[in-house]
Amino acid sequence: MINSILRFGLIFILLILLQVLLFNNIQFSGYVNPYVYIMFILLLPVEIPSWLLLLLSFATGLIIDIFSGSPGMHTSATVLAGFVRPYVLRIVSPRDGYEPGSDPSMIIYGLRWFFSYALLMVVIHHTTLFYIEVFRFADFFRTMMRVILSTMFSMTFILLIEFYRRGK
Amino acid sequence: MRNLLNFLARYNNLIIFLILEGIAFYLLTSGNKYHNSRMLNSVRGITHGIEGKINNTRAYLGLREINEKLAAENVALKNSIGKLVKRDNPVFFSVEDSSNKQQYQHTSAEAIQNSINRQKNFFTINRGESQGIKVDMAVLSGNGVAGVIVGCSKNYSVAMSLLNLDFKLSARIKSNGYFGSLGWDGRDYRYAVLSEIPQHVLVNVGDTIETTGYSAIFPEGELIGTVSDYEKFGGDFYKITVLLMTDFKKLHFVDIIGNMKKTEQLELEKLYK
Repeated sequence: MINSILRFGLIFILLILLQVLLFNNIQFSGYVNPYVYIMFILLLPVEIPSWLLLLLSFATGLIIDIFSGSPGMHTSATVLAGFVRPYVLRIVSPRDGYEPGSDPSMIIYGLRWFFSYALLMVVIHHTTLFYIEVFRFADFFRTMMRVILSTMFSMTFILLIEFYRRGK
Repeated sequence: MRNLLNFLARYNNLIIFLILEGIAFYLLTSGNKYHNSRMLNSVRGITHGIEGKINNTRAYLGLREINEKLAAENVALKNSIGKLVKRDNPVFFSVEDSSNKQQYQHTSAEAIQNSINRQKNFFTINRGESQGIKVDMAVLSGNGVAGVIVGCSKNYSVAMSLLNLDFKLSARIKSNGYFGSLGWDGRDYRYAVLSEIPQHVLVNVGDTIETTGYSAIFPEGELIGTVSDYEKFGGDFYKITVLLMTDFKKLHFVDIIGNMKKTEQLELEKLYK
């Protein structure tokens, strides 16, 4: 218990630092901003109580908001991601269900499963985030383009981090 | 009562979710106005330590470029002083009455936090009310227009960047004086769009775009950028793409300009509205 709190605390801090110091400064042609911190919500244990998941999502979003000076934007997107995670997990569940007490990671359930799980989550999060950011439906397709491109980049980085974790 | 408890137990996740989203949306709608964003300013105080460190490193790495820029600015200033000072007639000299003549007051500052990758970008500068900064002052980089102050705390101010969908600026073509409205379309941080220029006006690629003095925020004739492309838009107007002079990716040293006669102008204008 203590162990896993420490472990997730470390992951949390690392991901936030990565996001704030590195990824917030990335910008290709106005379309691509990877948001990798959402990975923290992805990695929490399968059996985590929903209320804790929601509170952790809220805290994550709030901290990112504070560092990027955009009150509420990341918070609302991340809370939504935390809310839909149990449903997403149910949709993509592997054939023999989840092992009790396991993390939804690539190490346990393989690349294909992790890819579809992460893709669904990242798409939900990014769609909410980018549409809340512009807060209007003018330029609908341009925002959609930003969602798609940023999702591709976020997924690349998330998979890279997962591969790195497996390699260790 | 039992039904109520059952209901709560059954939908507790949904309820927590709705409460948290409610808080998030409250922050979203009240915090982003920036004019009354006290919470933001106080919260920014906490993150300033970290941002300040990142900023220091960045400034150190860019010192050579900054030096060159300052040297060039020095030369320009010395030249303009040379024009003003009259050496050949020491008996008669003019006394500058600064209280009546000076309209714009300059303050230098550093941008310590900046973003260009959102649709509504803001940056923070390290001067605030104690240094005489007020809301609605103009912010210029060394090269051109950068933004407008929208919120001040004691020692820091937040400025709305030109790279913000809400930013609108009255701008004109220097060569012929026709003016239109300049804004950012959210695409590329190097370009802005000048609209409302009628089609009978002669526009050339490379024409200089500068500010008009109409808004009482920006002084007249500050550089904004050059025309990089133009196309017919609708029936009557051009849509002109402007290559911005300010490189927002390198924004660091900025000038803040306050118009000392702004209240006078605005009050007079109010009489006729």
